[in-house]
Amino acid sequence: MTVDSSTAPTVSSVAASLTKRGHVDVGDGVFRFALNAAAVAVLVILGAIVVLLFKGGFPALKEFGLGFFLSTDWNPVTEHYGAGVMLYGTLITSLIAMVLAFPASLGIALFLTEVAPERFRRPIGTAIQLLAAIPSIIYGMWGFFVVSPLMASTVQPFLTSIFGPIPLIGMLFSGAPVGTGILTAGLILALMIMPFITAMFVEIFTSVPPVLKEAAYGVGATMNEVFRAVTIPYGRTALVGAVMLGLGRALGETMAVTFVIGNANRIAATLYSPGASIASTIANEFPEAGPGSMKLHALLELGFSLFVISFLVLALARALVRNRMEG
Amino acid sequence: MNIELSEMSEQLRQRRAAAIDDGREAATKISIEALDFFYGDSKALHTIDMKIPEKRVTAMIGPSGCGKSTLLRVLNRMYDLYPGQKAVGKVLLDGEDILSPDVPAAALRRRVGMVFQKPTPFPMSIRDNIAFGIKLGERVSKSELDDRIEWSLTKAALWNEVKDRLHSSAVGLSGGQQQRLCIARTVAVKPEVVLLDEPTSALDPISTARIEELIDELKSEFTIVIVTHNMQQAARCSDMTGFFLLGKLIEFGQTSDIFTAPKDERTQDYITGRFG
Repeated sequence: MTVDSSTAPTVSSVAASLTKRGHVDVGDGVFRFALNAAAVAVLVILGAIVVLLFKGGFPALKEFGLGFFLSTDWNPVTEHYGAGVMLYGTLITSLIAMVLAFPASLGIALFLTEVAPERFRRPIGTAIQLLAAIPSIIYGMWGFFVVSPLMASTVQPFLTSIFGPIPLIGMLFSGAPVGTGILTAGLILALMIMPFITAMFVEIFTSVPPVLKEAAYGVGATMNEVFRAVTIPYGRTALVGAVMLGLGRALGETMAVTFVIGNANRIAATLYSPGASIASTIANEFPEAGPGSMKLHALLELGFSLFVISFLVLALARALVRNRMEG
Repeated sequence: MNIELSEMSEQLRQRRAAAIDDGREAATKISIEALDFFYGDSKALHTIDMKIPEKRVTAMIGPSGCGKSTLLRVLNRMYDLYPGQKAVGKVLLDGEDILSPDVPAAALRRRVGMVFQKPTPFPMSIRDNIAFGIKLGERVSKSELDDRIEWSLTKAALWNEVKDRLHSSAVGLSGGQQQRLCIARTVAVKPEVVLLDEPTSALDPISTARIEELIDELKSEFTIVIVTHNMQQAARCSDMTGFFLLGKLIEFGQTSDIFTAPKDERTQDYITGRFG
C-alpha cells in the first residue's frame, strides 16, 4: 500500500481548493438570500391579498352583517346584496363535479397503471394531460354551444325519466330541461378537473412499490382485491390531497362556469335551474361596479368568502390526511 | 406429563434430524421438467430439471442474475403479472402442471406462498395484514379468524411481541418483525409450499437467526424453497441445494454433498468463494 506522491494532495492544492470553497460560500450566501426572499414574497403576497380583500369587502359585511352570507337577495337597484345564491351555486356545482370526476378519475388512473397494455399507456396518458391543457374558455364555449343543447334535448329528459319518480331525488331532476344551469356547470367542471385529478392519481398509483402488490397477489388476491386492499390504501393520503386540489380548482373556476351556469340569481330545488357561482357573479358584475359603490364592496366580500372556502377545503384536506396517517 | 411430551418431541426432532439428510427419501412435491424462461427475447433459464422434495428445505444459490429468483417466481406464476415474461416447459405441483392456463393464478398462489426480500407489510393493522389473505379465499367466523391469526403469528414466532397491539399499524414494526409478519401472513393461508426470496438479506444478524430457526420449524408442515446469497445460510438451513450459474442448474443434490464434495468444478469455485 504505497501512496504515489504525484496523486497525493499537496499543501498548495489543498490551499487552492480552500480558496475555491471560499468563492462557493459567497455564492451560497446570495443563493440563500434569493431563496429566503422568494419564500418571504409568498407570505407577503398572500397576506396582502387577504388584507385587501377583507378591507374591500368589510363595508358590505358591516352593512348587511352575517346575513350577507344567507340572503339570496342581489338587487343593485335597492343596493341590497346577499351571497346565498352564489355560495350555493359554487358549492353545489363543485360537489356535482367531484361526484362525477372522482370515480371516473379513479377508474381511468387504475386502467392506465394496471390494466392498459404498455403501448396504450403513453398515448392515453398524454391525451389526458392535453385535456388538462385546454383553456377554460374553450370548455366554456364548447359547454355552451354543444353540451347545453345536448343536455336540454337528450340528457335531462332522460335523467328525469329515470330519477323523476323517486321521491326527494326526483326533485333534483325535475323542471324544464333548459340546458344551461347548475347540472351542466357541474358536468363541465367535472370534465375540467378530471384530467387534473387523473394525472395525479396515475402518479400516486405508479409510486406503489410493485413488490407490495406482488405480496398481495402472492396470498391469492385478484387484481380487484389488490386495488382495494393495497394500491388505494397505500396512496390514500395522496389521493385525498389530489381530490382536494381538484375541488379547489372547481370552486374557483370562472370562465367555463360563467358560460353554462345560466347566471340567474335564484336557488331552486332542481339541478336544471340556472344559478350563479361566486366566480361567475364577480366576472359578470365587476365591470358594472363603480368605485366605492356598495356593489363593489359586496363583490369583494364575495371574493373574500371564496378565498375562505378554498382555505377551508385545503385545511380539511390536511386534517383528513393527518387523521388517516395516524389511524 | 409435560416432561414426557417434551421428551417425545425431542425424540421426534432427533428422528427428523436423522431423516433430514435424506432429501431424496421424501416424496417429490414439485417437479420441474425442461423449463425455459424468457424475459421478452432474452432467455433467463435454460432447460431446468429439478425435483423439490416435500417438507424439506431446498436452497437455491448462485451469483446475482443466475436465474434463481426467476425460477422462484415461476413456481407461483408471479411472472404472469408482467407481459412479455414467458415460461416454457412443465412445473408439476403434485403432478398437476401449474404453468397451464387452466390453473387459476390466484388459487395457485394460495397453495404456493411467497415471502420477499424486503418486508412487505400492507398499509393496514397487524391483524388485518394476516386476515387479508385468509378472508380472500375462505369464509371464516370471527373466532376462527382470531384463532388462525394467533396460530400463524405463533408459527412465525411473533405472537408474544405483537399480541397487545394487533390493531396498530404493521408499518410501525421493526424490519425483522415485519418480515416475520410477512411469513405469518403467508403461513396463515395454509399453503403447501412456501417460497422465500432472500428473506433475510435486509435484516440484521439477530433477526436473521430468528428467521432461520423459523424455517427449521416450518419445514415440518411446509415444503420450503429458499433463494439466498448467503452460502452459510444455505448450508445451515437447507436439506437440498441447487447451484445456478447463468440460467443453468449446474448441480443439485443434498446440501451436505454440495458443500463438502461438489461434483462440478464451478460449484466448488463458487462455494469456496473464488467467484460470485
